[in-house]
This record gives sequence, structure tokens and C-alpha cells, in this order.
Amino acid sequence: MATLTATTRKASPPGVLTRPAVRKLAVLALVAAVLVPLAAARWASGTWPGALTVDVSEPLGRASDWIIDNRDSHPVFLYFLGHVSNAVVIAVRAVYLALLAVGWAGVAAVSALIAWRAAGVRLALGTAAAFLACGLLGMWVPTMQTLALMVVAVAASVVVGGLLGLAAGLSDRMDRVLRPVLDTMQVLPAFAYLLPVVLVFGIGVPAAVLATVVYAAPPMARLTALGLRGADKEVLEAVESLGTTARQRLLTARIPLARKELLLGLNQTIMMALSMAVIASVIGAGGLGDRVYQALASVDVGAALAAGIPIVLLAVVLDRVTGAAGARLGQAPAPNARALWAYALAAAVAVAVAGRLANRLEWPDGWVVGVAEPVNRAVDWMTDHLYSGVPVIGGTADWAGHFTTWVLDPLRDGLQWLPWWSVLLIVAALAWVIGTWRTALTAVLAMAATGVLGVWKPSLDTLSQVLAAVAVTLVIGFATGVAAARSDRVERLLRPVLDVFQTMPQFVYLIPVVALFGVGRAPAVAAAIVYALPAVVRITTQGLRQVDPAALESARSLGATSGQQLRQVQLPLARRALLLAVNQGVVLVLAVVIIGGLVGGGALGYDVVFGLAQGDLATGLVAGAAIVCLGLMLDRVTQPTERRAEKGA
Amino acid sequence: MTDTTGTPASDTPVFSVDGLWKVFGPKADRVPGDPDLTALDPAELRSRTGCTAAVRDVTFDVRKGEVFVVMGLSGSGKSTLVRCLTRLIEPTAGTIAIDGEDVRAMDRARLRELRRHRAAMVFQHFGLLPHRTVLDNVAYGLEIQGMGKAERRERAAEVVAKVGLEGMEQRRPAQLSGGQRQRVGLARALAVDPEVLLFDEPFSALDPLIRRDMQEEVVRLHREEGRTMVFITHDLQEALKLGDRIALMRDGRVVQLGTPEEIVGSPADDYVRAFVRDVPREQVMTVRTAMRPAASSEETVTGPAVRPDATVSEAIEAVSRAGTTARVLDEGRCLGVVDAGALLDVVAGTAAPTRTADAAGDTHADGAAGVVPAAPAQRREPAPTSEEPV
Repeated sequence: MATLTATTRKASPPGVLTRPAVRKLAVLALVAAVLVPLAAARWASGTWPGALTVDVSEPLGRASDWIIDNRDSHPVFLYFLGHVSNAVVIAVRAVYLALLAVGWAGVAAVSALIAWRAAGVRLALGTAAAFLACGLLGMWVPTMQTLALMVVAVAASVVVGGLLGLAAGLSDRMDRVLRPVLDTMQVLPAFAYLLPVVLVFGIGVPAAVLATVVYAAPPMARLTALGLRGADKEVLEAVESLGTTARQRLLTARIPLARKELLLGLNQTIMMALSMAVIASVIGAGGLGDRVYQALASVDVGAALAAGIPIVLLAVVLDRVTGAAGARLGQAPAPNARALWAYALAAAVAVAVAGRLANRLEWPDGWVVGVAEPVNRAVDWMTDHLYSGVPVIGGTADWAGHFTTWVLDPLRDGLQWLPWWSVLLIVAALAWVIGTWRTALTAVLAMAATGVLGVWKPSLDTLSQVLAAVAVTLVIGFATGVAAARSDRVERLLRPVLDVFQTMPQFVYLIPVVALFGVGRAPAVAAAIVYALPAVVRITTQGLRQVDPAALESARSLGATSGQQLRQVQLPLARRALLLAVNQGVVLVLAVVIIGGLVGGGALGYDVVFGLAQGDLATGLVAGAAIVCLGLMLDRVTQPTERRAEKGA
Repeated sequence: MTDTTGTPASDTPVFSVDGLWKVFGPKADRVPGDPDLTALDPAELRSRTGCTAAVRDVTFDVRKGEVFVVMGLSGSGKSTLVRCLTRLIEPTAGTIAIDGEDVRAMDRARLRELRRHRAAMVFQHFGLLPHRTVLDNVAYGLEIQGMGKAERRERAAEVVAKVGLEGMEQRRPAQLSGGQRQRVGLARALAVDPEVLLFDEPFSALDPLIRRDMQEEVVRLHREEGRTMVFITHDLQEALKLGDRIALMRDGRVVQLGTPEEIVGSPADDYVRAFVRDVPREQVMTVRTAMRPAASSEETVTGPAVRPDATVSEAIEAVSRAGTTARVLDEGRCLGVVDAGALLDVVAGTAAPTRTADAAGDTHADGAAGVVPAAPAQRREPAPTSEEPV
């Protein structure tokens, strides 16, 4: 359907060439016919030719050494970065101490109070329960560490993102500059941000906080700009017609009109900050993420789960409370709002003081429920009974093994066997057919950059994992999405599951897959699939459900079967949503496949972890750069033209 | 274009617009000054320069106390024109003066002053702030002028009452119906007590019945306060009902400017003629148009009396009841007479617009002496406001 409209729009040559895709491929084939023999003759034809690589690890190593040597003496560090670093440390420390000083009862009470005022009674109870659960699991102190880091990082992200968003929202030029940068940052895996901050700040809390800010600020900036730009034009005109100054317009109209987007930005920033704060345990963040990281390193699933559950609880609570606050915006406030605030505040203070007087600031040891032991026993039992040799269906480890042998290995070997230029050609063809020549060019250059950096093989290894995971994700995701779009009951059943899964930080997904599949590439892929699936299902369902009911009705009135309706009306009309689902799936899968380096996924993710662990920043940085390139390439290859156009508008 | 309305008005016009141009597009400045370009029609101009002229060489005065209607179909440039008056859209060329002061020469502070105190606007889609209550929306214009909270709320409450929204002060715009929202928009504009009210198609988004209510509301406000109004609309009925004078726009130009009677009675060109074809002429045209001098002295003393600004439909009723000619009396003085034939000519549109006695010719002068009770002057259609300018 879409191709039909596209062809009518342009005057095109006759015959098969009228299809734009065919025309693009023909042009590409022509270019290839000229360039490929040249390239193949000049350089070897198998893997990326050595002559085309640039050894960056040596200069990077030198830069890293220079920074380490000069960290205490160079003015840039002394007068700027040093202060930044100190300020971060002091801020995190202060929040942490404050949280401890309020005591567990106080923290739970104050959080519940905020949740109550922002989101209602049910969420307040949920919040209190979540905090108590953190204590029961024996994770009170790490939870507070993570929370302290989060508070500082979110505050900084909101300020930075808000200011950038303000600039982009008010100035067209800033918008043109910032938008592509923010768009790109949005699709990069979290791991790519770790190395550069470590290079500058070294491993520790400042690096963790700054990486979190860099990762979490873009959504705030994007949504702020979106909100400011999306304000109702006539309202702004009306406000201007009354003789407002520019400042009055901003404060009394533009910002209040953008409140929904601002709160959504806050919500997304908090979720991304939590996700990153957990991952940043790799560079010294401490807290819950560190517990998970340490536990995973020794394949102690029980301990990992004990730390993982608080992360999930924190994520769900933060998401629901900020989300509900956004949903409540339109309603008029209760008449006695102030009095209610006062009562609730008094109650919370009373609880905190009571905790203090009772000398019960720390979570009592006796109240800790050890889950690590039983979980580990269960995992051991699983290892013994489910890993392999289960009659007929085989064991989970067998599945992982088979998946590795029959899917991942051939895919990786196949990709690495392909001549380098053909990989570039395939990338170009896919990106151009789906998008524009610009996206194709970016994609090809990004792919080539991985070769130039000298990490062609590990990049293709990562790519093979991504492709396998995306294929599985799309098959399951589209099937589930179609089912949910066609049946209200399925959708009702799925919705809460998707809600929870979509809020969980990437890191958490590694815990169950390690329990089920052990370590290796297959569990990394499995985690990626589980992580990407909810988004794909959701976008597919929404896309199919938003298909023009009139079109569907007319198809029904002509006597189309439900299969015909799906194939001939719903799927073609939802093409955009489906492409977006593919794009999102690819981006999300890549993020987790990279993190899979922590559980034996190998390839680029492992290089980053290895670089961090060994202090070999050069290796890590090169891998990080390759991740950026791969992320860019995958995003551009799957980026539909419409999305570009829409964003440009 | 001359106009001969009976509207008494003070001498300095409130708005005086002369040779106004607004051109959108690249290098728009060159268009108004270039005779080659100004002669082009819109499509040619677009293909030659890539520019669109929304307002082309428009000249008019808005007199104090009148309702000046700018009417035209969508894309005729009327909304752009009204926005140029307070420079919400910056004009390309021409002059605009408010009370003799050059608007285009104003600096930012002066312009803000103009928008804050002298001209307030009512918008098609209301333009209310969704996060504020009705009262705070109405008080908004006062708030940005720096008025204190208690005072501005008090003032706003008065205006809210004036537009008939008592009891809804604490609601939010989302809780109101379309008509109520537009009342809030009207109240917000009234609250700053502006010299001129600008309406940009304020009732187009409303249901027909609500629209009529709101039109009555505007008529009532105008009668009570006598505020100068510039009213943009695409609805001819609305224009005829509200306007003291109407400027009819097409493709950015004013094709005719005059009283409703002039527009309907003597359309300037075929476009206007087509536009007003379906208007019930007898309700717009006044007796003055159908009048001829009395052919005999008998005619000046017998027959029912009608006022010169009574509508033709009223005269028809009087004439058909009496079966004679009717006298047109202005403060007891007989200006002339109307007869059935002349009135029919007006209804049919076959008469020359400004009749003379010769044109009317001799119809019949049968002297039915029965003096019918005075012509019904009070029972009028929702008053064409030209009747009683304030």
C-alpha cells in the first residue's frame, strides 16, 4: 500500500524500475560493480584488510597514561574536573548520610507520603511495602547507596537536560544542532558511555554519576524541547496578544503547557538513571548493582537475586509514582490539598523521630530474610535436574548449547567468512531500501569504522548475536502482538506483564538467564530477547489497533476473512509501527547483548569489561567506539524514512 | 470606496490602515514595492517568487464605536489582516495607526502597552490556558500587567459575571462547553478594558444555536458599552447581523467596503454578487433604498408611516396591510413614499440600488385614506446594529 502511494507520487521509469526499492538496488549494484573489483584487487577479499585499519590503541593508551599522570597536577583537572568530581562525591555522600540519618522507618514513611500525594493511596502502600521488602532482603544499605547516587544523578540530569531542552525548545538553531545528537545518544548502549568517563575521572563514584547523567539527560532534554515546541500555537498567540513579555510567556504559558512532557521526561530520566546506576557498578558505583555484579561474577544466583529484587521494586515504584503524577495533571487539585500535605508530613516526621528515638535507624539484623540460600538450592536442583538429560525436551543447558551450535556459531562464522565489502554492501542495500541515502551512508560508514578500528571480527561476533536475538524477538513479538491486537483478553493478560518488564533495568535480566542457561553467548542472547520483547509486542499491538477502523470495516463489509483482514489491511496499514518495532527491537537487543559480555557473551561487551577490569583503557575504548558504530549502523539500517521525515517536521 | 452610512463617529479613526501588505515567503519585502509583482495574481506570484501575499494593499478606517466586520472565505487573508493590527504578524508594507499613532513604528515596550491596554483579541479556538481556572484565565491579562492578586481577581469576577459565567469561576477550561469557553475568552479580552476588541472568527467553532447566543451576546455588549470592535468572520449572515460596516476580502484584497445594505444592494462585482445572492434582501435593505419622492401632496399625508431605516420587510407589511403607499417619516418630516412595486423590486433585486423618483416612475396613486396605525418600528429582527450606534 505504501509503495503504491510512493510510486504514484514520483514520475518514474516504466516497468519493474517503478518500484523505488528496485531502483535503489539497481543503482547500488552499479556502484558495486565498479568499486568492488577495485577494492578486491587493491586489498584482500576476506576479512577486513589490515592495510585499512588504524591502530588507535597506542595513542589511546598514551592519552590514558597522560591523564593518569596529570590528574593531580594539570590545571584542567585541578580547577574544573577536580571540582566536579569532588562536588559529586560530596553530594552523593551527603544524600547517603541523610538517608541513613532519617532511618529506615523515616525513609519508608517519607517515600510513601510523596507517593500518596503524587499518585494515591494504593501506590503509597506499594511504595512503603517495596522499601520494607528491600530491608527484609538485607539490602537496606546498598539500596540507600543506589538511591543516593540516583538522587544526585537524576537532579543533575534534570537540570542539564532541562536546560538543553529549553535551549532546543526556544531556538530553532539549537534544535537543529541538538536533535540529531540526542537522537543518536538515545540509541547507544549504556556500555558505550562507561569508558570515556572512566578515562577522565577514573573508576569511582564520580565516574558512575557522570556516566549516569550523560545517559539519563537526553530524554529529559528531548521531551522538554518537544513539550515547549508542541505547545498549542493559538494559546501562545492569545498570550502574546495580551502583551506578555517573552519571560512571562515562558513562565506562565510555555512551561505550564509542557507539564505533561516535562513529567514524562522526568519519568524516563529516572528510569534510565536507575538502569545506568546499576550498570555503572562496573565502574565503581557501589550499591545494589555492585552486589549483582559481584554475585554474577561468582555465578551466585541467590545473592544476585537478593540484590536484583530491590532493583526491580525500586524501578516499578519510581515508574508508577512518576507516571501516575503525570496522569493526574489534568485534574483539579483537591480543595484541602495543603492541609493533607501538612498532616502527612507531620506523620512522616513522627515516624522518623520515633525511629530515631527507638535507636532503630539501621535495619535490624534479625529481620533479614535470607533468600540467597534457598534460591541457590533451587538453582542447584535445577542444575541437576533441568540442565540436561530431561527426557524428550532436553535441558535448558542443552537448548543453550544447541542454540549456540546451530544458530550462533554458523551465523558468526558466516558473517566473518563474508568478504568485508559484501558486508558493507548488504548494510547499504538494507539501509537504503528501508530509509534514505543519508541513513545508508551513515550506516556504511559506521560499519566500516569498526573495521578501521581493528575490531572487525568481534564486531561481527556481536552482530551475529544481535541478529539471532532480533530474529527470535521479532517472531515471538509479532506473533504475540498480533494475538494481543486481535483479542482484548490476551491484551488484558499481557498488559501488567509488559508494564513490569518494560520498567526493569537491563542488568536485572542477566540474573534469571544465568540461573537457567549458565554462562555463554546463548544466555546473553536470551536476556536480550526477554528485554526487547515487551517493547516489540507493545508497539506491534498499538500499531495494529490504531489501524483506521473505517478501512477495516470496509474490508469486513466486502466479506474478507479475518486472515485476509490481517494480511491485506492491518499489516500493510501498520507498516510504520512494525518498522518502528523492528528498530526498537534492534536497539534494545544490542544494549543487552553488549552487557552480556558480563556473563560470557564475549565480543565487544567482553572487551569493555576486560578493559575496565585490567585497567587497559585503550582496548575498552576501542570496543566502546565500535559499540557506538554498531549501534549507529543498526539504528540507521532499520530507520524508516517516515520516522526521519516526521522528526524533521 | 465611499460609504454613506449614518453611523455617527468621532473624527479620528481608532484604526487607520493604509496600503497594508503582508507577504509570506523568501525576500517578501520586494513584492509590495514592485509594480510588476503586485499586478500578478496569487498563483503567478507564487510561481514567480515563491511568495504568498496574504494581505494585498488593504486600506480602511475603523471608526470609534462601530463594529467593523472583515469577511471573506478561508484563505482570503482576513485572519492575517487582524493579526497585523497589533503586529502579532509583522506587516510587510503599509501603515497602521491607532488613534493616530503609528503602530509599525512602536518599539517593543510601546507595542506591549498597545496589546495590554488598547486592543484585546478573542480567538477562534479560545486560546485558554488549560492549567488555570476560569477566574485566573480571565485575570491573566491583568496579571501580566502586574496587578495584585486580590484586585485582579475582583475585576475578573465582575467580568465573569458580565458574560454570564457566574458560579463557574473555579472550573478549568476542559470542564466547560465550547460556548462557555468562548465566553471565558471574551471575558479575558474584556477584563483589560481595551479600547478595541478584535475577534478572529470567534464563533466558527461553535454549534449554530450557541453561535446565535454568542452573537446576541456581542450585540448586547456593544449596545451596553459601545466598544469599538473589529470582527473577522467567514459567515455572511454573521457579518450582516453584527456589522456596521463590512469589508469583503478576496485573495488578500478588499473587494468591497460598505454597510450591509450597500454590500447587498449594490455589489461591487460578480464575486460579491454571487456571495450575497441568497441573502434575504428585504431584511437587510432599508426603506431609504426603495423610497421615491411623493408624487402628490396626498401621498405625503396618507398611508402608514415608516421610519427611513426600517427594513423593506417591515415596509412590505405596512404597505400590504394598508393597500396604499407608505410614507417615510423622519421625525415627522416626510422624506418620500414607498409603494408595493418598489418594494418588490428590492426583494427581487431588479431595482437600481439607489432609487430616484424618476426611476420609480408613476405607479399608482389611488388614494386610500385609511391611515393605518403607525408602522411597526419596534418589532425588528435581531437589530442590525447600524440602527442604534452608541
